[in-house]
Amino acid sequence: MLTSPELVWLLAAVAKGDEAALERLYRATRPKLYGVVLRILRRADLADEVMQETYLKVWSSAGQFDPGACSPVTWMIAIARNRAIDLVRRKQETSTEEEPEVMEVAAAGPDPLAGREMNEAFKRLLACMGRLDEERRRLVLLAYYSGWSREQLAAEFDKPVNTIKTWLRRALFEIRECLGS
Amino acid sequence: MTPDRPRNTPRAAPDDVSLTLSEDMMAAEYVLGTLDPDERDDARARIASDFTFAALVQYWERRLGELHALTGDVEPPAAVWDAIRAKLGTAAPGAEMRLPEVGPPASAPAAGNDVELRARLARWRNLSALTGSLAATLLLFAVMQITAPGLLPSRLRPKSEAAAPTVAVTQAAPPARYVAVLAREATSPAFILTVDVANRNLTVRRVSAPREPGKSYELWLISGKSPAPRSLGLVGTGDFTQSSDLDFDDPASIGEATFAVSLEPEGGSPTGAPSNVIFLGKPVESIPAPASQSEAH
Repeated sequence: MLTSPELVWLLAAVAKGDEAALERLYRATRPKLYGVVLRILRRADLADEVMQETYLKVWSSAGQFDPGACSPVTWMIAIARNRAIDLVRRKQETSTEEEPEVMEVAAAGPDPLAGREMNEAFKRLLACMGRLDEERRRLVLLAYYSGWSREQLAAEFDKPVNTIKTWLRRALFEIRECLGS
Repeated sequence: MTPDRPRNTPRAAPDDVSLTLSEDMMAAEYVLGTLDPDERDDARARIASDFTFAALVQYWERRLGELHALTGDVEPPAAVWDAIRAKLGTAAPGAEMRLPEVGPPASAPAAGNDVELRARLARWRNLSALTGSLAATLLLFAVMQITAPGLLPSRLRPKSEAAAPTVAVTQAAPPARYVAVLAREATSPAFILTVDVANRNLTVRRVSAPREPGKSYELWLISGKSPAPRSLGLVGTGDFTQSSDLDFDDPASIGEATFAVSLEPEGGSPTGAPSNVIFLGKPVESIPAPASQSEAH
């Protein structure tokens, strides 16, 4: 993947309507975004749809990207995750048979970060996640990576939905406290 | 734990006592994705209308977004890009910039200024079909500033950034009336300013000013009224910086004022005075006030 400054530059060009820049941006970020949305949607056809929506949104809104607020990848992932979660919730509303298969998140095995440079913000987040009770941590990670709803999490953890809601907020509050402002 | 460097300081200031915990947690759950569909709709409406809430969402997107480092890459099928490219025409960036129709200016602008400025603008910016008239060019700036407001320093930021587009597009009919080209030399404009006195609006468009990591450009107003240059705020790092609710001491004298941009340490001048003015320019009255303003809506 290109570095953040290169991606910022590409986004600026995309904001001016540069198609070649969009293609370069797509090439640089597609495996990351596809990995993110596929994990949530678990269906290639839906993931393809969300990828299209995401890059068309990037194309039309690149001018709104604020490099002072977050990195280009974070911005694009937020767009992609929001689309994916909206889609998966709509699907869940219309069909209840789609029980999620249990996916191991951050499973043991080769460190996905091996050989990668970890930035400070990520290290801090990991440290804060590490302070959470193991069950709560798993809850947050399943919600983030797999896009599970409170109902799905309730089924997985065998708890009432309200308990899951309380746990989620407690965990997020602890993360906020730990990260500080 | 190491403290944040200043530029990482989140905009969502959690020390704002008016923020309730539930707002913060709602923003966090929105980003995490665990709100139910109705709550998600509510959250989206609030992002669009409530800057504070939007900033909380941005905080969580940045923080939780770091988790992406742990996701594995997956190559999408080639057909995905083909589908995106096929749809670009219908979702072009320009598609969101609907130019409102405007009549010709009530009276012709001063010929010399207009011709010179038009020639400059044509040289600096390839605005293709829209470079036909200065009015159209300025209108494009006005509309682009709305659809692409970019980065705004907090003190220049409109109260509700996300709500701006629909309102502002309809208000674009009386375009900016002053244009100031800030340059060191006439041949290399660094910034173009458009000033809409009636709406107390100012837009800075970056043209060729280099991005200076670790430094900030600061905009100053030098007028006969005030003895010292007055800071109008920092210029954002994006292509456009927009400022509304400008407090002009004397709007009538804006034509006599000089605008300057200085290069300052990140965050702005430490002394309250420009450290090192590098670009200067005087505003040119580009479009006279229309004789009768058309309905804004």
